[in-house]
Amino acid sequence: MTKGTILQQIDLASAVIGKTWPLYGFVTSNPLTGYENRPFKIAIKDAGELIGGDLLPSAASLKSALELGEIDEQELERVFIENNLQLSPEESLKAIESQNKSKIKNSSHKLDSLVIKWLMAYMDEGLADWKMPNKEKGFYCAWKSLVRYDKEIKLDPSFSLPDDSCEALRQLLKYYSKEDQLRVFERHLSALPGWTGYIKYRAETNSDWQRKFSITLQDYLAVRLLIARSLNFEFLSSKETPGHENKAKNYQYLWLKAWELTWQKRFIKDIKTSLDISAKTSKAEASKNIEDAQLVFCIDTRSELIRRHIESTGHYETFGYAGFFGIAMDYQNLEDGLIKKSCPPILDSAYKVTEEPKEDHSPQVRNYLKKQEQTKFTHYFLRRMKNMLPSAFGFVEGSGVFYGLTLFFRTLIPGRLYNPEKKEKDSFESSCEPKLNSQKKELKSLDISLEEKTAIVKSAFDLMGWKTFSPLVLFVGHGSHTANNPFGSSLDCGACAASPGRHNARMLAKLANQSEVREALKNFNIQIPDSTFFLGAEHNTTTDEIVIFDSELPTSHKEKLDALKQNLIKAQVSATSERLGVSKHSISAAHVKTNDWSETRPEWGLAKNAGFVIGPRKLTQKMNLDGNCFLHSYDWEMDLEGKALEGIMQGPMVVTQWINNHYYFSTVDNETYGGGSKISHNVTGKFGVMQGNGGDLKMGLPLQSVNETDEKFYHKPLRLSVFINAPKERVTTILQQNNNLKSLLDNEWIYLFVIDPTKENKISKYKHNLEWQASETFIPTKLERV
Amino acid sequence: MEHETFLIESDSQDKLRSYQQSSIPFLSKISPGIYWSLLLLSIGLIAYYQIFAPDWNYSDVLRINSFTLLIWITVLFFSSIVSSYSKNYLRGFKFQNRFTILSFGFTLSVMLFVMANHVLLLISSWLAMGIFMAKLIGVNKTWGEAKEAEKFTLKYFLAGSFFLSVGVLILSYSTNNFSLTFLMELSEVDSSSLFFISSVLIIIAAIIQSAIFPFHKWLLSAMTSPTPASALMHAGFVNGSGILLTLFAPLLIVSNSLWILFIIGGVTAILAQFMKLIQVNVKHKLACSTIAQMGFMIMQCGLGFFNAAVAHLILHGFYKAYLFLSSGEHIAQTFPRETPRIRITFPQAIVVVVFGILGALLFSLLTGKTNLTDSSVFLTLIVAITVGQATYNIVKENSLTYLQKFAVSGGIFIAGISVYALVFNGITRLMSEMPMIQQPQILNPLEIIFGVIFLIGFFIMKLGVHTRLPWLYVRLLNLSQPYRKTIHYYKK
Repeated sequence: MTKGTILQQIDLASAVIGKTWPLYGFVTSNPLTGYENRPFKIAIKDAGELIGGDLLPSAASLKSALELGEIDEQELERVFIENNLQLSPEESLKAIESQNKSKIKNSSHKLDSLVIKWLMAYMDEGLADWKMPNKEKGFYCAWKSLVRYDKEIKLDPSFSLPDDSCEALRQLLKYYSKEDQLRVFERHLSALPGWTGYIKYRAETNSDWQRKFSITLQDYLAVRLLIARSLNFEFLSSKETPGHENKAKNYQYLWLKAWELTWQKRFIKDIKTSLDISAKTSKAEASKNIEDAQLVFCIDTRSELIRRHIESTGHYETFGYAGFFGIAMDYQNLEDGLIKKSCPPILDSAYKVTEEPKEDHSPQVRNYLKKQEQTKFTHYFLRRMKNMLPSAFGFVEGSGVFYGLTLFFRTLIPGRLYNPEKKEKDSFESSCEPKLNSQKKELKSLDISLEEKTAIVKSAFDLMGWKTFSPLVLFVGHGSHTANNPFGSSLDCGACAASPGRHNARMLAKLANQSEVREALKNFNIQIPDSTFFLGAEHNTTTDEIVIFDSELPTSHKEKLDALKQNLIKAQVSATSERLGVSKHSISAAHVKTNDWSETRPEWGLAKNAGFVIGPRKLTQKMNLDGNCFLHSYDWEMDLEGKALEGIMQGPMVVTQWINNHYYFSTVDNETYGGGSKISHNVTGKFGVMQGNGGDLKMGLPLQSVNETDEKFYHKPLRLSVFINAPKERVTTILQQNNNLKSLLDNEWIYLFVIDPTKENKISKYKHNLEWQASETFIPTKLERV
Repeated sequence: MEHETFLIESDSQDKLRSYQQSSIPFLSKISPGIYWSLLLLSIGLIAYYQIFAPDWNYSDVLRINSFTLLIWITVLFFSSIVSSYSKNYLRGFKFQNRFTILSFGFTLSVMLFVMANHVLLLISSWLAMGIFMAKLIGVNKTWGEAKEAEKFTLKYFLAGSFFLSVGVLILSYSTNNFSLTFLMELSEVDSSSLFFISSVLIIIAAIIQSAIFPFHKWLLSAMTSPTPASALMHAGFVNGSGILLTLFAPLLIVSNSLWILFIIGGVTAILAQFMKLIQVNVKHKLACSTIAQMGFMIMQCGLGFFNAAVAHLILHGFYKAYLFLSSGEHIAQTFPRETPRIRITFPQAIVVVVFGILGALLFSLLTGKTNLTDSSVFLTLIVAITVGQATYNIVKENSLTYLQKFAVSGGIFIAGISVYALVFNGITRLMSEMPMIQQPQILNPLEIIFGVIFLIGFFIMKLGVHTRLPWLYVRLLNLSQPYRKTIHYYKK
C-alpha cells in the first residue's frame, strides 16, 4: 500500500461526511452532498446508519401537519394505496412513533473526547492567546511532539511514531484488506462529522489558517487511530442494523411525500388562479408607461415580502436575480483588509473587488482607516488588559462599573440603542468606489477588459429577461443585522457565500453606469437610455430597511429617488408589520429584534422555503407567497437558445437545492445535522460552536432558525419544488445535456414542474428519466380549501 | 392599484400566523417585574437603614443590616438582568418554566443566606444555593451530558455544605452558641486549635464554591446550563465564598488562618490566568478568568481586606455577567498573526513608571488603603502595575497622537481609579457594622516571598517565557478539561 493509495482511499471515504463551513462564512449546503448520486431514500438510510440521527420528519411533526391541514388526508391515503399499503394514517403514525429514538451511550466516548481535545486546541483561529506549540508543523507533527506530555494518552512504546501521517496509517492498517481500510476510514471520519467536515473545508479552501497551520484528513485519521490503539479500541466493529424499523421508515417517507404533494397541489392551484387574473388584466397594464423605478432583488425567499410591499406602494417593477449579481468575485473589505468570497461556493472567483477612494475623497478615507486602526487598538488593548497578570485584576475593578451600566442598558433598551443611520454614515461606501480586478496572476495588468465588463452587465439583463429601462434601476443586495448571534452570517446572502450582497450590487451598478459599457451593449441590442441611472443598495432583512448608495446620483434624479425613498419607508412599515405580526410601531419592533442581545430568533432567514419559481414576476405577482419561494426572473421569449435558462438551472437552481436540503436536514434532526439549541452554545476557535462543555463541532442551522419551540417546527421540511415558465421541450433538452441536474431530479432531491407558455401555461411534473406527467392527472378536480 | 386588493392567500397561512410568537410561561413573564421591584425595594430599605438605623434582628434567627441589603441589591440586580434577558432568550425552551423557578429558588437562598443569623439556617441556605445551581446546570432534563454535569457539580456542592456544617457546628457546640452574631464576638484570647480546624473547614467550603484550585473542575464542567444561568453562576453563585468569609472574618483572623487564603488564592490566581491563555472556546476562557478572579478575591481576604473582596466580587459580577450574556459575539474571520512584541523607548518607559506611581498615589489618596508596612501594599502595587501596563500599551500605539496618548492613558486611569474608589468607599461604609472587615496584616516573610512569586508570574507572562514550555501547555490543557462524561457521552 503506497501513500497514493491511502490518500485515494481517504478521498473516497470522505464522501460520507459533508463540509462544515465556518460561522463567519456560513454556507447552507447539503450535508449529504456526498450521497447525492443515490436516490434520496437510499441516501438517508446510508447516512443514518453511518452518522446516525433521524433523517425524516418526526411523528409529532407529521401529526401536527395533518392536523393543520398541511398534509391532506386524502392525499395521504392515495399515496398509501399507490404503494399497496392497507393502512390508515393513525395506524402508520403509531408504527412511526414506536420507533426507538432514545439515545445510547457513545461506545467510542473516551476516544472521541481525547480526539476532540486535540482537534479543538489545534484548529483554533485566534481565540487563545497562547497557541498550541509547534502548530506550524501541521496537526500530526505538532500532536506527535506533544503527546508524550499527555498523561491521558499512553501510547504503545513499541510503536515508534513515524514522521508522516500517511506512513503512520500505512503501518497501522497494513493487516487490513482494502475494503476494510475504506470502512475504517469511513467509520472514523463519520464519528465526528462536524470536526472532520471542518478539516475538509479547510483543506479544500486552503484558508489563511490552513496555509499557516495545515491539517488534513490523513492527519486526523492517524492521530485518531493512534489514540484508538492506545486505548485498545477496535478500529472496526460489526454493526447491527435494526431491520424492523425499515417498515416504519417507509411510512414516514410516504407521509413526507403526501406533505409535499399537498403543498405542490395547492401551489399549482394558486398559480393557476394567478395566471387567470394576469391574463385578464395584462392587456390593461401593458398600456401603462415605463415604471418609476425598477428594483432587482436576490432570489432569496425573503425578497418576496419586500417586493410585494414595494410594488404596492407605487409604479415599480421588481426582479429576482442571484444576489451576487453575476459577478464571481472575492471582496476585500476596507474595514479589516480581509478577503472574503462573495459569490456562490460552486463558482470560482474570477475577480477580486477592492475599494478605491473616489476623487477628492482621500482625506475621508484616510480618516476612516485611522478610525479602524484605533478600533483595532481598543480591542487589542482590552484583550491585553484582561489577559495579563496582574492587570486582569486591576482592570476588572476599574472597569466593572462601566460593564454594569452597559449590562443594564443593553438588557432594557436594546431598540433605542440601535442607530442604523450612524452606522451607514461611518461606513466607507460614500467615499469609496468598488474596483474590479482580475484574479488571474499570469496577466500583467489586473484591469478588466471592456468585453468582460460588458458581458457581466449583459448577462444580468439576459437572464432576467429585461425589456425597458426606468430612470432609476436599483440592484438591491441583502444583509442581516443581528446582535450577539454566532449564526449571523447564515442570515446574510446565501448566494454571496454568507456575505452581504451590497458590494456586488454597487459593483454592478458602477459597471452599468459606465458610458463605454452602455455603448458596447448597444451591439447586443440592449439600449440603455441616457436618462437611466443605476444604483447599488442593500435590503436589511432583519428590519426590511433599504439603504441606497447614492453618493454619485446626478441631481437630475434626486427628486425621483427621494420619492422612492419615501415609498420604501412605507413598504418597510407594512412589510415589518406583516412579518412580525404587529400592527403598530412595526419598525421599532424590528429594531428591537435586530439589536437585542437576548434575541435568538432575530429573523427567520430562509425558513419555510419550499418552492423556486423561474419566470416573469407576473406569474406570482397576485400571490402572497408568504416567503415560501425563491423567485428568479426569466422570460422564455427572450431566450431563444435556452442558454439563459440553462445558466439559471446550473447555478441558482443548484444553490437553492443546497439551501433547501440544508434546511430540511437541520429541521428533521437538529442535533445531528443542525446546530442544536443556541441557549447552550459555546463558541470555539472563532469559527464554530459546540454544545455545553464541548463535543462535536456543530454543522448546521441552530434550532432557533428552524423551530418555533424545542418541539415545534417552523420550517416545513419539504424538498424543493422548482417551477419553470418555459416550453417543456427546452427544459427536457437542458436536462439531457446536464446529467448532474437530471440525476438530482431522478434521485428525488428536488421536484421539477414546467409551466409551458406554448401550451396555454399547462403545468407538467417531471416524473423520471425525462418523462413528464400532465398536471390534470395528479390534481384532483375538486381540491377543497382547508 | 388592483393587486393591492387582490391577493391569493395560501391556505394554511392564517393558522400558522397565530403560532409565530410562541408563548412564554406565565412565571417567566412576570419574574422580571418581581425582581426589579424587589431591587427597588431593597434600595429603598438601604436608604431607610442608613438614615434611621433600625434594629432588624429577629430572635437571633434573622438579622438585616446594611451588608445584608448590599448583597440583596447585588443578587437582585443580577437576577433582574438575567430574568429580563432569559424571558426572551429562552423562548420556546421546553424547560423555561423550570429555569425560572430554579433561578428564583437560587436568588431566595442567597438572600436568606445573608440574612441568616442562626447557623442551621445559614448552613441550609448554603446547601439550597448549591442544589438550585446544580439543577440549573442540568435544567435540560432531556440532555444526557447536562444530567452528568448536574450530578458531577452537585457532588462538589454537597461536599462544600458538609465541610461548612462541620466547621460551623464545631464552633457552635464548643461555645454552645448558635447565633452567628454572638459566635463572631471573638477575641484573641479565645483562640484555640478548635478554631483553627473550624476555620480550615469553612475555608474549604468557601473555595469549593469559588472553584478555587484544586476544586476548579466543577466550574469547567458547568457549561451545560443555558447561557443566562452561567451569568448567574459566575456573577452570583461563585461569590458565595467572599460573603461566607466576610461573615466569618473574625474567626479567620483570630485563628490566624488568613495566610491559607492568601496562598491558595494567590496560587489559583496565577495558575488560572495561565490556564486562560490556552483556552480555545469562549465559555472555558471565561471560566478560567472567573477562577483567577476568585483567586484574587480570596487573596484579598487573605490580606485582611474583606471589604475589598466584596467590592471585587460585585465589580467582577458586572464584568462577567456582561461577558457571558454577550458570549455569542466571538465569531470572526481573522488572519493568523503573531502577537507583536512591544518594545518601548527609554522616555516612554519613564512615562510608564511615572503614570504607575501617579496611579498608586491617586489610589491610596482616594481609598486610604495604603500603608507601606502592611498587606495593603499588595493592592496598591497591583494598581500601580495595572496603570503601568495600560500606559505601556497606549504609548506605543501609532494611530494615536501624543496628546491623545496622554489624554487616553490619563483619562482611563483617573476614571477607573475614581470610580473604583467610589464603590470601595461606599461598600466599606455599608459594611461598617460588620466586625473586622478591614484588618491589614503586618507584612511577614511568607507574604513577601509570595509577592515576589507573583511578580515572577507577571514577568514570565510579559516576556512570553511560557510559550517555550510545551510540557506546561499540555499540563494546563489537561488541567482545564471538563469532566469527561459531560462531553459526547451519548449518541443517537
